[in-house]
Amino acid sequence: MASQNIAKSQGRAKRTVKADTSGFDRELEDLPADLRWREWMMRVEAVIFASAVPVDRETLVRVVGRNCSIDLLIDDLRQELHGRPYELVSVGGGWQHRTRASYARMIQASAAPTRSTAAALSQHEATVLMAVAYFQPVTRGELSAMFGKDVSRDTIAGLRDAQFIAPGPRSPTPGAPYTYITTPLFLSAFGFDTLRDLPDIEMLEDAGLLNRKNITAEMMGPGTADDDEED
Amino acid sequence: MAGGALNAVDSLVRSDAVWAGAWRQRLGLRSAVAALRLMGRQDEDGALRDAVLLLAPGGDPGPAGNVLVAYKRLSSRKISVDSEILREMADLFALRFDNALEELPGLVDDLTKDGKAAPFAVAELVTKVCALRPDAEILAWWLADWLLARKLGWSYPVPMLVAERYGAVFRTGTGKGRVRPGDETFARAVCLALVQGSAEALRQATETGRRAEQLLAVAPKLRTKGAEIVIRQLLNEDALSASAPGTKLSRWASRRLFERLETLGAVRELSGRSTFRIYGL
Repeated sequence: MASQNIAKSQGRAKRTVKADTSGFDRELEDLPADLRWREWMMRVEAVIFASAVPVDRETLVRVVGRNCSIDLLIDDLRQELHGRPYELVSVGGGWQHRTRASYARMIQASAAPTRSTAAALSQHEATVLMAVAYFQPVTRGELSAMFGKDVSRDTIAGLRDAQFIAPGPRSPTPGAPYTYITTPLFLSAFGFDTLRDLPDIEMLEDAGLLNRKNITAEMMGPGTADDDEED
Repeated sequence: MAGGALNAVDSLVRSDAVWAGAWRQRLGLRSAVAALRLMGRQDEDGALRDAVLLLAPGGDPGPAGNVLVAYKRLSSRKISVDSEILREMADLFALRFDNALEELPGLVDDLTKDGKAAPFAVAELVTKVCALRPDAEILAWWLADWLLARKLGWSYPVPMLVAERYGAVFRTGTGKGRVRPGDETFARAVCLALVQGSAEALRQATETGRRAEQLLAVAPKLRTKGAEIVIRQLLNEDALSASAPGTKLSRWASRRLFERLETLGAVRELSGRSTFRIYGL
């Protein structure tokens, strides 16, 4: 439920086009350079701290001066958080405060309600999600062919409800099934910045864990029924 | 040599043929396939067409489709490179947007104004972008096509550079590996890539031009109301789905229209399927 709310607010954040920046001074011309920098750091950290989703550069630029380097600000903030149990991570195309991974067990043991972004996934769901991430856009039928057994509609629906996958273009096969692609929430929940951060597929292939050619060849085989045109 | 080849493309671009849109789009598709190879993906052009054409309006075509969208945008709209468009492209190419990318509009601007010959400016751009962000080579080649058009005063970029990235021109003399941005021979390789790319563009132009003439020749024979829009789209797009969205034709009308055009030899069915047909010049 929490994750759904987050994903919804993510959608909403995208839709808000104009933000009001008139109420405060962005440039801070009257402050000496080091105090100005300090104030910018505070502002940026406050925005990231308050936000429900990773905050992207575009948003941060609204609260600091025109010629302020966001990357350097973030570097300084990270430096400051050095001795803290939480850190500033760059995920899903933005930045977010997260507790350090080494404290995960303690937080779990405390049973405190957390603002967790990720719904818990079963082993099977996680595997299906991984397959979607690598082979997107991919249909349920193709996933079933990959796994050698039916990937049920419920599994897909579960992943959709958790907002990890979303429908992409329709596949030009009989029945015009939807293909599935991963969402920004998937990236953020698994700590990826972009899809390129997924572990290298060629390395997995070299290790003999995957074979794209076989899979596509199998999928092309049976899919040539003559149905009525559906366009 | 690169000058001669570019001159031929230049006069073609300046002749402003009615089918130039379809020509650029088709080169864009070829570029997108090569760009995806740079990303470590092996997608075929058919799959890319499907991803973009069978998408519901406002949907996300997935990582491969996004690259094609980026190239479609390059060749179909007059764009200026500013940080907004770069952000959009970084999104489409699945690149993290950071300060290094924010410097690019300035860099591109400098290279545009600087008096260097186009091939060398392109080589310098790719080298500099790759030095700033080694993972952004794909964006560097996209910008290279744009810079080339700006240097030569074309109103729309003609995507042709990235497709040569895996061609023979970037092989090193020793037969091992490829010339990387920053190598001494990189500028020379870019010149050769321009020659190859131009040759390919001209070959594609001959084919597209011939097919477009055929289409224009049979156009008066069509009796479908609203066929002009479809004809115009065919001349401006790489491919259209058989339902022809954006026209006022009913799906039966558009289906009959495309079948008639196909019998007259003016369009081809590009997907090889009997359903979800995709037509183009």
